[in-house]
Amino acid sequence: RRGLSVAAGPPSTRQLREAEAAAPVFQYAGKAARRKDRVFVWGFSYSGALGVPSFVRPDAGWKKPRRIQPTPYRLETEEKISSAACGYGFTLLASNTRDITKVWGMGLNKDSQLGFQRSRRDQTKGYEYVLEPSPIPLPLEKPQQTRVLQVSCGRAHSLVLTDSEGVFTMGNNSYGQCGRKVVEDEIYSGSHLIHQLKEFDSRVVQVVCGQDHSLFRTKKGTVYACGWGADGQTGLGHYNITSVPTKLHGDIAGVNIIQVSSCGDCCLAVSDEGDVFGWGNSEYLQLASVTETTQVNVPRHLPFKIGKIKEAACGGTGNAVLTEEGNVFVWGYGILGKGPNLIETALPEIIPPSLFGWSDFSPDIRVAHVRCGLSQFAALTNRGELFVWGKNLRGCLGTGRMEDQYFPWRVTVPGEVVDVACGVDHMVSMVRSF
Amino acid sequence: LNAAPGRAPRQQVRFLPAPAPGGGGAVELVAARVPVLADHPLVRGPRFRKLKIGAGHRLDVKASGVFVLGIGHGNKLLTDLYNCHLTKVYTVGGLFGKATDDFSDTGNLVEKTTFDHITREKLERILAVIQGTNQKALLMYSNIDMKTQEAYELAVKGLIRPMGKSPPIITAVRCLQFALPEFQLEIHCLHETQQYLRKTVHEIGLELKSSAVCTQVRRIRDGVFTVDDALPRTQWNLQCIQEAIRNCQLKVETELEKTL
Repeated sequence: RRGLSVAAGPPSTRQLREAEAAAPVFQYAGKAARRKDRVFVWGFSYSGALGVPSFVRPDAGWKKPRRIQPTPYRLETEEKISSAACGYGFTLLASNTRDITKVWGMGLNKDSQLGFQRSRRDQTKGYEYVLEPSPIPLPLEKPQQTRVLQVSCGRAHSLVLTDSEGVFTMGNNSYGQCGRKVVEDEIYSGSHLIHQLKEFDSRVVQVVCGQDHSLFRTKKGTVYACGWGADGQTGLGHYNITSVPTKLHGDIAGVNIIQVSSCGDCCLAVSDEGDVFGWGNSEYLQLASVTETTQVNVPRHLPFKIGKIKEAACGGTGNAVLTEEGNVFVWGYGILGKGPNLIETALPEIIPPSLFGWSDFSPDIRVAHVRCGLSQFAALTNRGELFVWGKNLRGCLGTGRMEDQYFPWRVTVPGEVVDVACGVDHMVSMVRSF
Repeated sequence: LNAAPGRAPRQQVRFLPAPAPGGGGAVELVAARVPVLADHPLVRGPRFRKLKIGAGHRLDVKASGVFVLGIGHGNKLLTDLYNCHLTKVYTVGGLFGKATDDFSDTGNLVEKTTFDHITREKLERILAVIQGTNQKALLMYSNIDMKTQEAYELAVKGLIRPMGKSPPIITAVRCLQFALPEFQLEIHCLHETQQYLRKTVHEIGLELKSSAVCTQVRRIRDGVFTVDDALPRTQWNLQCIQEAIRNCQLKVETELEKTL
C-alpha cells in the first residue's frame, strides 16, 4: 500500500544493454595459444601395439578387455613424438629431443625388436609383450647431443636413424636384415644386442623396412639394402641373403633418389626428376609394366606417363604414387580404391579427386602424402584430412566399421593429421590439435 | 483474377425450332451452335472464390530469404520437389564474443569471451572439419551399400544424397567475409532448420575456444529457386506472380524429370 517496493517487471532494453556491458569476459585461449601435438592409435590391441595397457589388462573392475579399437584413440605421451612406425604387431615412437630417452616401443617383443625390456618380476629375463610405450635404450656415444630423425619397423626387426651416429638396428637377424652377419641358431628373444651401421657413402637420410629386408637411402641419392633376397627385394642382382648393407645399381645407378618405400616384398624408389623405379616381388603385377617375371632383382625404371611423381608408397600387393598435381594413382592387386570391380591392374589408374573432397566449391584440395600398410592405403590431404581404404583387417582402417573399404573414406580425427604410419593390423597418426 | 477474361463458354449443337421458309404454322428443326447456358458467367458466378496456396520448406520468423509457395495445382509439384531432396543455400552472419541461450543476438546473454586470437585460417580449418564429418553423414544416411560398384560411382560424381528422412546435413560451407568480430558464411544444407544453423554458429564459436551468436540467416536458394526468381514485397501483384510462375515452370519440370 505504501508503494515502497515495486515488483520487478521484465528488464527494459536499457537495463539489458547495461547488464551485457557489465558482464565478465572469459578468456579461454590467448593470442599465444599453441596447437598441441597428439598421437592417435587404432586397430588390433591384444598385441600391445596400441600402447594402452587397459585394453589388454583392464585396470578397473568394470572395464572389459578391448580387442579392437575401431576409431582413433588418443595416446597420452610425455614427449612430443616426431616420427612413428608400425611393424607386425609392434610400434615404435620417436622424438627428436636431446634428452636421454628418445625412442619408445610397444607391442610384440619376441625377437627383441623393441630392444631389451627388463622384466620387473625376473631381472634376467625380458618382456615378450610390451603393453605401454617403454623407452628403448640406445648405445649412443653422445646421448645428449644426437637426435633421432626417423624410425622404421619390419616384420620382426626395427631401424632407428640418428643424425650423427648412423643407423641402429635390432630384432630378428635370420636373414641379415639387421645388417650384421647371420649367426646360426641365434636366440633373438631377450637379446641385448643393438647393432650400429655407419659405413655408407654419405649420411643416411631415410630408412625403410620391408618384411624381412632393410633399405637405406643416403644424402647423395644412393640406396643400400640388406636382408632376405629370395624375391629380389634387395635389388642386388641375386636372390640370396645379404647381411651387410650393399649399394644398389641397375636403373638407379647415378640417379638421385629422393624417396624409397617398401612394406612387403616389393620396393619402389622415386628420383628427383619424378621417375619411379621398382624391384622385388612382382607376383601381383606390381612391376608387370616392364617385365613378365614374378621376381625382379635389379631396380628397373617404370615408364609411367602420369606426370612428375612426388611420392611413392609400396604395399603388400598394391602400390600407390602421388604426382606433383596432387593426384593419387594405384596399381597392383587387391582393394585398390576404385570400387569393388577393380581388383587388379598392371598400369596405374587415377583415383578421382572428388573422392578426397575436391569439388567446385573447394577446388584447392590436394593429396599431400600417401602411405601404405600391408593391404591398406592412407592418403593425407593438404587440409589435414586422413582418407583410408583397403582391407579392414581387425579394424585397422579406423572408420568405426569392420567392413572392407573399397573407395577412400574419411577418418574422423579431432585435429589436423600431420603424418600417419600403417602396419598390418593397426595404425598410428600424429595429429595437431586445432 | 476474376476480372481477367475467362474461358470461352462451351458450345453445343442443338436443334432449335425456327419458322419454316414455306409459310406460317409449320416448324422446322435447324441445327445451330448455341452456347451452353450452364457456362454463362451470370449462372456460374465468379470463377475463383478460394485459392489453395501451399508452402514449401519452412522459414522461421527471425530468418529471411526465398520462400516457395504453390498455388492450386502447384501444390502437387511441391510434394514432388520435397521428395527430390535438393540442397538449400543460406548466408549466415555471426558475431564472436557472445553466447546467448537461443544462439541468436536477441537472446539472453549467457557468457562473454575474448576473440582476438581467432584468425581466418583457424575458422577455415574448423569449417573443413565440419564439411568432413557431414560428408561422412551424407554417405551413411543415404542407405547405399558401400560395397557395390554403384555406390563407388555415385560417390565419385558426388551424387550420393539421403533420399529419405535424415538429420540435418551440411554439404558445403564457405567463409564469405571475415572482419572481427563479425563473419559471414555460405552454407549449403539438406533437411535443416534455421535454428540448427544458429546452433552450428554457436558450435563454431565453441570450437575456436570463444563463443559466437548468429545475427542473420538468409536463404538465397531453395532447390531451383534463387533470389533472382523471388518476388520482393513491392512485386506482390498478379502480373508479377503470373510472370514468375511462367519463368519457373520449365526449370521445375527439368529438375523433377532429372531426379524422379
